[in-house]
Amino acid sequence: MATHAKIAEQLARQLFKLSVVDGSVSAAQVAGVLEYVDKHRPANPVMVLRAYHRLVSAEVARGEAVVEHAGAVSDAMLSAIAAAMTRQYGRRVVATARPSAALLAGLRVRVGDDVYESSIAGQLAALAAAV
Amino acid sequence: MSTVLEQIELQIAKLSNKGVKKNTGNIRTIADGVAKIDGLSDVMYNEMVQFPGGAIGIALNLEEDEVGCVILGDIANLKEGDEVTTTGRLLSVPVGKGLLGRTVDALGNPVDGKGPVEAKEFYPVERIAPGVVVRKSVSQALFTGIMAIDSMIPIGRGQRELIIGDRGTGKTTITIDTIINQARINKVGLASGDPKFRPVYSIYVAVGQKNSNIARTVSALEAAGALEFTTIVAAPAADNPANLYIAPYSGAAMGEWYMENDMDALIVYDDLSKHAVAYRQISLILKRPSGREAYPGDVFYLHSRLLERAARLEGKGSLTALPIIETLAGDVSAYISTNVISITDGQIFLETDLFNQGIRPAISVGLSVSRVGSAAQIKATKQVGGKLKGELAQFRELAAFAQFGSDLDAKTKAQLDRGNRIVELFKQPAFSPLPIELQVAVLFAMQKGFFEAVDIKKVVDASVSLKSFFTTRKDPLLAEIRTKAALDKDLEAKLQAACEEWKSSYSA
Repeated sequence: MATHAKIAEQLARQLFKLSVVDGSVSAAQVAGVLEYVDKHRPANPVMVLRAYHRLVSAEVARGEAVVEHAGAVSDAMLSAIAAAMTRQYGRRVVATARPSAALLAGLRVRVGDDVYESSIAGQLAALAAAV
Repeated sequence: MSTVLEQIELQIAKLSNKGVKKNTGNIRTIADGVAKIDGLSDVMYNEMVQFPGGAIGIALNLEEDEVGCVILGDIANLKEGDEVTTTGRLLSVPVGKGLLGRTVDALGNPVDGKGPVEAKEFYPVERIAPGVVVRKSVSQALFTGIMAIDSMIPIGRGQRELIIGDRGTGKTTITIDTIINQARINKVGLASGDPKFRPVYSIYVAVGQKNSNIARTVSALEAAGALEFTTIVAAPAADNPANLYIAPYSGAAMGEWYMENDMDALIVYDDLSKHAVAYRQISLILKRPSGREAYPGDVFYLHSRLLERAARLEGKGSLTALPIIETLAGDVSAYISTNVISITDGQIFLETDLFNQGIRPAISVGLSVSRVGSAAQIKATKQVGGKLKGELAQFRELAAFAQFGSDLDAKTKAQLDRGNRIVELFKQPAFSPLPIELQVAVLFAMQKGFFEAVDIKKVVDASVSLKSFFTTRKDPLLAEIRTKAALDKDLEAKLQAACEEWKSSYSA
């Protein structure tokens, strides 16, 4: 079972490498990969696709800045955030807004694994942990 | 409550509008105290990571697309998908004298119900051992209070001396006696007001033991008045393996605080066999390649980097380590045993046969060694006990030879009798360490032949009587031995007179 998982992981990684063009995931390449898997049915296709999905999700998340906000956020602010993150990471980052009343106020920006916390809820959580 | 409110107000005052950057990941799988995490792209090796609910973990496996973390603490509420955050810090534990008299877990949190630990400093659990240049050679004695050890296998401050033997042979008892003796010496020394006196603080690390055993140890130390100079780090068998893995390093960090602040400390690791087993479990779950006996390839490094942290430093203090290894059927050539023997500066080997014969402590003098040797002995002990090891070695040879024949010459019989008397003399009850001055007096009496007339079976009674005589009626003489630490002609004459006085009053 462990060997099947390892082989599936290796194949998924190879397929993922083929899906990245110029530093970002290409929709056309992803479609090609899915067609290949459908046509040739490698061993344990579900395992392969799940691993592939995980890798592609992580790569897509790296190119997207999810801006969680409690109050209003303007397009200009989103553009500024996108520009700042593009400069920070040295690759194109697109900002998308997602309202979240749980933040109370302020923003939380997530780019891949990095989270930039500037919300009241986050600060209160840090305060609670410190006390 | 007002203190809590003040803390909150201070924290609110510090709140700023600046954003805080965190690196996060999500739990993909969690089993057996190990979590595999997606993300955590900025995590460093051995970095502390924060799980929801207050549990913390250490990143031990950094792979291409996942991070393997061992979790310290309660994992019951963790689940797949939970967010994990890096902290940017290495795992640290509280250190300092505020830990004396306390029982803490592997992370330094108190488990004795006596309130929070007062600690102003925190030391990292994993630390590089002192280099060659900053070390000083071991030359100060660390008295265990066990006559067989202090006279023939002496331990010095800064030494690593392994205690190895089968289950139930008295390994833990030797270490507890040593801790009790340090406490006794500390009380006498501090009461004397001698500015040059250096107390020894003790740390007892319990790895993988039953909670009842740990409780019994705490009670024994408390009853002997030793707990005020001791810190107990408890990682019982019920804890997850990550806690068992970390506990010895936490104890070493606590000991290093004393060493680096010009004080002396003693640390007992009880025991490293269970520590190796816990590390094996973690490594297997992390899918690290396994080697001999399924241990990971770096099991030697597991113990070498721990034990190398015990040293004597130039211009600072010392940390003496007494690691314990449990053998199976007396096999000292097993994997972990040979590893630790090659790391330490000697070993005290306890045999089941000797224990069952009533020779307790069941120390095999032939197989035990201290590589520091007489450099860690006071002159008085060398004068009275310097030849004992050789005499016992000759006795063992003769005893093996004598069982095949009945016609022995007078000289051989005398050597056998003397050897038997020495063996009887070294018997000592548990939790009764002897002051070094009393040991010197007893060995002096042995060397001068005061036990020759005593029947071999009565030697134990006679030595008890002698010790009682010196303790109750010759205390100034004992104090003189303790202060001078060497037997000059005047002191020898006084000892001789005292022994003769005892002999005249003693009837077997």
